[in-house]
Amino acid sequence: MRFIDLQTQYLEYKTEIDAQINDVISNASFIMGSKIEELEDILANYVGIKHAIGCASGTDALLLALMTYDLQPDDEIITTPFTFIATSEVISFLKAKPVFVDIKEKSYNIDPKQIRNAITSKTKGIIAVDIFGQCANYDEINSVAQENNLFVIEDAAQSFGAEYKGKKACSLTDMTCTSFFPAKPLGCYGDGGMVFTNNDKKAEKLKSLRVHGKGSHKYDNIQIGVNARLDTIQAAVLLAKFPHYKKEIELRNQKASYYTERLNDCVITPHVCAHNLSVYAQYSIRAKNRDQLQEHLNTKGIPTAVHYPRPLHLQTAFSFLGYKKGAFPISEKVSNEIVSLPMHPFLTEKDQDKISEEIISFYS
Amino acid sequence: MIIPFVDLKTQYQNLKPEIDKAIEDVISKTMFIGGTYPEDFEKAYAEKYGVKHCISVGNGTDAIYIALKALNIGLGDEVITTSVSWIATSEAISQTGAKVVFVDIEQDSLLIDVSFIEKKITNKTKAILPVHLYGQPAKIDKIKELCDKHNLYLVEDCAQAHFAEFKRQRVGTFGDIGTFSFYPGKNLGAYGDAGGVITNNDELAKFMRMFSRHGSLVKHQHEIEGINSRMDAIQAAILSVKLPHILDWNKQRFDNACLYNKHLKDIKEISLPKIMADVSHIFHLYVIKTDRRDKLQKFLDEKGIQNGVHYPTGLPFLKAYDYLGHKEEDFPNAFNEPKKILSLPMSPELTEEQIIYVSNAIKEFFEK
Repeated sequence: MRFIDLQTQYLEYKTEIDAQINDVISNASFIMGSKIEELEDILANYVGIKHAIGCASGTDALLLALMTYDLQPDDEIITTPFTFIATSEVISFLKAKPVFVDIKEKSYNIDPKQIRNAITSKTKGIIAVDIFGQCANYDEINSVAQENNLFVIEDAAQSFGAEYKGKKACSLTDMTCTSFFPAKPLGCYGDGGMVFTNNDKKAEKLKSLRVHGKGSHKYDNIQIGVNARLDTIQAAVLLAKFPHYKKEIELRNQKASYYTERLNDCVITPHVCAHNLSVYAQYSIRAKNRDQLQEHLNTKGIPTAVHYPRPLHLQTAFSFLGYKKGAFPISEKVSNEIVSLPMHPFLTEKDQDKISEEIISFYS
Repeated sequence: MIIPFVDLKTQYQNLKPEIDKAIEDVISKTMFIGGTYPEDFEKAYAEKYGVKHCISVGNGTDAIYIALKALNIGLGDEVITTSVSWIATSEAISQTGAKVVFVDIEQDSLLIDVSFIEKKITNKTKAILPVHLYGQPAKIDKIKELCDKHNLYLVEDCAQAHFAEFKRQRVGTFGDIGTFSFYPGKNLGAYGDAGGVITNNDELAKFMRMFSRHGSLVKHQHEIEGINSRMDAIQAAILSVKLPHILDWNKQRFDNACLYNKHLKDIKEISLPKIMADVSHIFHLYVIKTDRRDKLQKFLDEKGIQNGVHYPTGLPFLKAYDYLGHKEEDFPNAFNEPKKILSLPMSPELTEEQIIYVSNAIKEFFEK
């Protein structure tokens, strides 16, 4: 049994994926070019945002987006401690300071009310994360931001294709970022990411920063940038996969419902708000004796993963921020209880039955 | 006849069965990030290069940035580098927060002029970052002496010089860290962005590995803050197929450069690439100089002969470095020489027939 079954997915779409990759290789056109633009156009259109800018990874997407705000040292950016390190890493990378606030107990997304309390005169912006594929509460987040003149970045690394009140993830704030890491709901075959924005000036700046701060041509460098291009070969893989993605989102939701029906009485199953459509980047339950449950499932050949075992404020890398244990009780509690089950569009009912039975038997 | 600048299509046709298999292997195993493909390439590269460690990273720019971070270079420090290179060299210095200190180039080799380095050393100088431009090693023994004398780190930018040698020692092994780009058009190129660093220092190797993978060697345990700069497994698998050929390819490039020299030597209006003493030049680029560069370039374009200018503007004179306030007389060679340079088609796959075609076109231009 696989945690994420990319093999089956490849076999399903093999003809299209192989043809796309061959196209790139036989033309020896490996850097930028028309496939990147084609993908950017298709995905911009899909999320309903004017500009899409492909980049080398989800982390680079966040970095490039943040670079357009010209942060100064000591500027503060409010974000969640319950996510992968990339989100806060880019803040520190640009010498600004991540300020964590706790999450909501049901959705595991950043708590907009706590954002309000964390705002200081140095706060410049907010990075919200759509954890596990469910959008954060952007009406509230955007209104807190507006009142305080802050920018908002939506970290949609896990939520491409998700919906919030009928609007697509990646379209919910000033600037939005996603990741095409292979295990993501829409994943390529290496590192990849994308930034979306309606702001023409920022889009232009992003495109320059992504290729060494270039101006009108390759060797005209007008600002210090980075090298953060999406590989053409990865764009080709995404072009082959994307036409199937709508169907895959439906399948992910079906698999999630199937799990929830079976596990609801036994563990805390994911709570998706009524106005949200999740893409279930992870199907994560909260369980008593999590480590033992994980061990039990492991011995039965069922792969699981913990997202995330340690909240960011307790990571060694952020010890300089001075947060103590207990600072964000919900994040800490969820980190101790959370475990993700196998989730992908090709999961069989037979496997889901087995997984559910093993979990139920562990607790009985 | 179209003469491609770099002939990656022919190279692919020559290696097609192996490359196709490598890509298929990665995809069918769905091992796209980390794992055996990058690890195998790192081991093979280090072994072939004759160094203890190779760490694969996202691209050649990141390689320099990661090397400088490993040496704890940042705000308040100065790093000395050449004034003619691709912007990545100086950009990576600025990314760390350190100040870029440019040194003019030698007029003939276009490499960093070692005689100017010492007067640029201050108490803030932390490192020297020479570039082995076009595939030709800089005077690395002299640079190494200066580093030892002034207690400076030495990072070699080998993006264009895989396996090139200075006094029979490979570039990238003289100092603390050597950095590489495996951009598709490089002598050893992937099918997308890719890079690497080499070192014999265990501590630096460990730091660079951790730093380039979000500061973590064990998943979800982040000891330091890092960045995301990994070589995709697909790219590593492709590079592993190509690696056994690199020395042959370098030799073929050199042979092709000799053929160009033979066919171009009688043209008074151009100067041919200068090969310096004690080096093996691997001719990533074959760069000629002429006062009528722009017109020649246009003429070659019309003939279907692809060409390039590497690089049209010396680094200190790019808009990105306006803030340093440099003037023409600060770096006269870096100001003047880029106006004359022109890179001709160069790859191992280039045929003598193509070289003669290009040479005849250049003769035709100057006889007009």
